Amino acid sequence: MASIELKQVSIDFPIYGISTRSLKHQLLRVSTGGRFTSGQNHVVTVRALDSLNLTIEHGDRVGFIGHNGAGKSTLLRVLSNIYPPSSGTVTIDGKISALLDIMLGMEPDATGFDNIILRGILQGLNYEEIHAKKMEIAEFTELGDYLSMPVRTYSTGMQLRLAFAIATSITPEILILDEVINTGDESFIQKAEKRIKQVISSAQIVVVASHDLGIIKDLCNKVLWLDQGSVRYYGDVPTGLNLYKNSNATP
Amino acid sequence: MANASLATSDLIEGIKSWRIWLLLGWQDIRLRYRRSYLGPWWITLSMLVTMVCLGFLYANLFKLPLNEFLPYLAIGMVVWALILSLITEGTSALVESTPYLKQISLPYSVFILRIITRNVLIFLHNIIPVVLVLLFFQVKISWALSGLFLSLIIIIFNGFCFAWILAILGARYRDLVPIVASIMQIAFFLTPIIWEARILPEKYRYLVDYNPFAQFVEIIRQPLLGEWPSMNAYIVTITISLLGMGVMLLLLKRTRKRIIYWL
Repeated sequence: MASIELKQVSIDFPIYGISTRSLKHQLLRVSTGGRFTSGQNHVVTVRALDSLNLTIEHGDRVGFIGHNGAGKSTLLRVLSNIYPPSSGTVTIDGKISALLDIMLGMEPDATGFDNIILRGILQGLNYEEIHAKKMEIAEFTELGDYLSMPVRTYSTGMQLRLAFAIATSITPEILILDEVINTGDESFIQKAEKRIKQVISSAQIVVVASHDLGIIKDLCNKVLWLDQGSVRYYGDVPTGLNLYKNSNATP
Repeated sequence: MANASLATSDLIEGIKSWRIWLLLGWQDIRLRYRRSYLGPWWITLSMLVTMVCLGFLYANLFKLPLNEFLPYLAIGMVVWALILSLITEGTSALVESTPYLKQISLPYSVFILRIITRNVLIFLHNIIPVVLVLLFFQVKISWALSGLFLSLIIIIFNGFCFAWILAILGARYRDLVPIVASIMQIAFFLTPIIWEARILPEKYRYLVDYNPFAQFVEIIRQPLLGEWPSMNAYIVTITISLLGMGVMLLLLKRTRKRIIYWL
């Protein structure tokens, strides 16, 4: 039984580069007894998530909505085990597969087949598993002989197709998506949609951030509305989407 | 507690993810030499050319017998190349892995071990011209050669610890990359590689005795020249290993949670 529980989770981003990042300042501070750069010493922080509480249960499909900068991607990265929280606790039960950037690890100079193996290994498969899946992935991409050529010779659409096919060849317990991936020409989009829905239905928990409210309505049974790092609404989809739409309509 | 477990699990899970770092490290080499006929053998060839040319040059300049000096120089250069790249590439290891670290949850150690893998592979290519030089000049082989195994373990272990330390500091302080580069440049000239320790006057001997790099080069060079490294060299290098491990663990425990926010 997969589950996710966040208690009082806050994320503070320290912003360096404005004043204190370089060694020079640290040294100057020492050599001038702290006077020279005093006042610049405190690091500016931005609070991306503010004391967030969230429980996601087995079987939930949660859609994250909110404006740019509301903290959607940050929260996805907390759930993906990428950002350790500045305070609070994150308890995750289940194996996480995060598809935040499907092009991650794509090596333009390696062939399509090499990239299948590379990305498979990155996603935690072993050699037997990835070799077993290789042909299925190759077939899905419809790239044929191109798979033996370096990826840099592909068009953007072909690269995305390959990346998509590899990334979605997993059977996740907890699936984390940043925008539902849509790619390729008309006929491929339909195929891709079918495949992503298959992956989503096989997962025990799905978390997806999207600006496309239609997709959220389509896929999710719960919606989380984030606003400036806090939960504005968490509950059933129609109510959440209505509240969100209304708040956008009246500025 | 939480910080310590995050640090140790990074190390343990990192080592367990050998598939990833072996593949990434191997791919780094393969891609660097893609579309060239000799491929990674360019590493071997260019090292051979460099050491032979430098060997002739310095043997003539310093009036040294070529059959003694060239093997000495060859080994020194290869060990230095290994140490240098472990340190300089280590310093930028985490910064350069930012795209991975921000998109996928992997132990950070993977990216340190990737650098170790890559440089051990380069070292293996580099050692071939050394063997050729040693065979050509019929350098004596003795039981001391078996000491090479321990020496390599010491070097790789130190490479891991110090690459981690420098990677963390390099992520926090971006000036570290050029600083380390300049220090290593100076260290090269202060370490007996293109000159022999015995030509130093007594009062400058401390340059070698207190130079850790000199000891690391010695523990590899002596076994290949058929001699056992000095006890001093072992004591220094093993002490540095233990210190390095301590500092690495301490630093990792204190900073592991915050590293991602520095990138």
